[in-house]
Order: sequence, then structure tokens, then C-alpha cells
Amino acid sequence: MITTPDLIESLVAGAEPVRRLRPPVVRAVTWLAFAAALVALLAVSHGLRQDIGARLQQPLFLTSICASVFTAVLAAVAAFIVSLPDRSRLWLLLPVPALALWVSTISYQCLTDWVSIQPDRIRLGEAADCFATLILTSIPLWLAMLLMLRYVALLRSAAAAVAASLAVAAISSTALSLFHPLDASAMILLWNLGTGALLVGLGSAFWEKMFSWVAPR
Amino acid sequence: MPDLAPITVGESETVSTSTQDQTPILSLVKESSPTRSVDDAAGPAASDRTLDWSICMARAQKGDRQAYRRLLDEIAPYVRSVAVRYVQNRGDLEDAVQDVLLTVHAVRHTYDPMRPFGPWLVAIAKRRIIDGLRRRGRASAREMPFDSDHETFAAPESNYHETASEGRALREALQELPAGQREAIRMVKLEEMSLKEAAATSGMSVAALKVATHRGLKNLRKIFGKKDGRT
Repeated sequence: MITTPDLIESLVAGAEPVRRLRPPVVRAVTWLAFAAALVALLAVSHGLRQDIGARLQQPLFLTSICASVFTAVLAAVAAFIVSLPDRSRLWLLLPVPALALWVSTISYQCLTDWVSIQPDRIRLGEAADCFATLILTSIPLWLAMLLMLRYVALLRSAAAAVAASLAVAAISSTALSLFHPLDASAMILLWNLGTGALLVGLGSAFWEKMFSWVAPR
Repeated sequence: MPDLAPITVGESETVSTSTQDQTPILSLVKESSPTRSVDDAAGPAASDRTLDWSICMARAQKGDRQAYRRLLDEIAPYVRSVAVRYVQNRGDLEDAVQDVLLTVHAVRHTYDPMRPFGPWLVAIAKRRIIDGLRRRGRASAREMPFDSDHETFAAPESNYHETASEGRALREALQELPAGQREAIRMVKLEEMSLKEAAATSGMSVAALKVATHRGLKNLRKIFGKKDGRT
């Protein structure tokens, strides 16, 4: 076993200059800009839903969209703040009001329309298409989040992962509401919070390995 | 601007780097006694010290190794004092301290010099120490410590059973020899005197000592041969 003074010597020897992290709000804005760009690209390739003009007139739809956008913004800010070791964990509560509003507008259509059975054949329902869009949005967002929060593996992985998954879920949900006629929020929340839980689980089981992959040493 | 804090303090900083062990590195930090205890974290010295550490860390982030070595040297006993509240085993305690230092090193870019250093360090230390306790708790559920119950006494020599019994056998055998031979063996073989020294000590001639030693060895061989069942 290496002694503590020897360890200090080796750490000092490896003390390259590091770039300080930008303030958490700035980092959250960076991530949100990436998310916005991703959604815009998907909108170009996929096209907005047909009835978007009419839907935006409906107060409920508008509320839902605004609430999910707010949830995304606040959850991203919370994720970046809570990832720093010396900040209070109460920052996790930041997105709760927006989340409550958003959840109150969720319905469960997307969970119920996985396959539609027609007289001549069984075909994939709209939900499968939803799911594909969901994966396309959330995986790049997750990767960006992981990369930006890689140092948190050693600190508060669970807290940061909860906030991060909420942010990713809210962005994906906003994207899907714009692209698909079905309300997929419930599925999205399940999917993304599940991903978050999976990452935390993997992180606590293999944190050393994960850390050695992404951490700059 | 946070970046300027360590730079604007001026000449005292550049002068004092060579003599940093004796003098505080920056004149902007109020001088405190050199024999600070690690348990005064809540006292007024702690805030001075963490300001000091904050500046050291800001410089370490820029690659200043002197400042970084000083910081790590100073926080190590402090981290130990935090860890000792959670970890009693000495070996585990040092592991915990090293784990915290490694983590501080790995996440040193997350420190913002505008904010106090103490809470940042304590948050990391507690997090890592508690994680370490969890890991060890899981490990100890399926492992058993190899303890030292088989050792009767703390002194290592007392556990060399064979050597001890051989020594006793030799002493007993020596008692059976005639006095002259016993003395000769004792001086020449056991105390490793030269023949001249032994002659001077005992008053015997060198030739007589040689003969006595030779006979003594012969007799010892006989005695041990008998004990082993040989002739």
C-alpha cells in the first residue's frame, strides 16, 4: 500500500493545469442549446405534426408544452448545480413546480397504442413510432449529460442522475408533442427515469471502470 | 473575478514560495500559530486556513505544484480528523484519507475560488468516506479477517518456537560439560571472542583454549547425538 506522503507526491507530480468549470447556469444553458439544436434537426427531418397550428391554440396543449420546457430548463439547472460537491441537495426541488404542472396534463394514450389489430394484419401502432423518436432524442441528450457531468461519478451520482433524467425526459416529451399526435409523456417519463436509475445502478456497481473511461486524469 | 485573487496579492506571494514551510504563503491571510490542531475546524483559525487553502487551490488549478503540494500536505491531517469520526480501523482510516485526496485531485476543476474551500472539501470527504464504509460493509459481509490470535506475544522473537527450544537445549547441554570446556565454548563460540581475547579474559593459554574448545564441541556433539538417538 502506498503511503499518504507518497500519494501526495504522485498527485503533485500529475498536477497539470485544469480548466475550471463554468458556472452551473452557463453549463445548463449550453446543454439546453444542444437540446434545442437536436430538436430542431429532428423537426427538419421528421416534420412537425399536421395539426400543430390548431393544437397550439388549445390552452391545455400550450400549458403542457410550456410546463415540459420549464421542467427541462429547471431540471438541467438543478442537475448542474447539484453535481457540485458543495451545493445543497435542496436544489433538486427546483424543477418540482413545473414538473407538477406538466404531470397534471399528462394522459396515457401512448402506453395503450403499441399495436393495432386490423382485419387483415397486425401493424405497429403510433406508439412504436413515438418510441423511435423518443430514443433518437434522448440518447444524444443523455450522452451529452454524461459527458458534462462525468466528474459526478465520484460524488452525488444519484442526485445528479435524477435531475438529469428529468431534464432529458422533459426535452424528449416536448419534442414528441411537437412531432406526434399522441401524448407520450407518461412513456417518456418512465423511459427516462428508468434510464436514470439504470445509470445510477451501473455507476454504483462499476463506478471505477466508468470513471476511468470518461474522467480526465 | 475569481482568477485574479491569487495574482493580485503581489510580491509576498512570489517571494515566499521558496520558504513556504516556515512562513505563511500570502500576507493577505492573517498569521496563525504554526502548531494548529486539526480539531479547531470550527474556530477562527479555520476560516483563515480555508481562505489560505482556497488560494492554494486556485493556484493549483493553474498548475502551481508548490501550492498544490502545500495544500495536500495541509488538508491530509484535516481529512484524517474528519475520517476518524467514521472509521476506527487504522488501515481503513488511511485508505479513506487517500481516497479523499484522490477524489479531490480528480475533481479539483469543480472548485470555484469565489466560494469557501472548507465546505467543498468536507462535502467531498464525507461523501467518499461514507461510500467507502458502504463498500467495506458489503465486502466484510462475505469476508473474514485473518487475525493474529495464533501469536501469543507481541514480541516477534517469542513466537520463534524452534529457535527458542534449540537455544534451551544448547544451554542445558553446556551445563553437562566440564567447567573448562564450558567456559571455552561460551567465550570462543557463543560470545565470538578471538582466542587471544578469551585467553586474556580467562587466564588460560591459547593452546589450552583451543584444546578445551575442541573437546567441548566433541562432547556437545555426543550429547546431541544421544538425544537424537544416534551415537
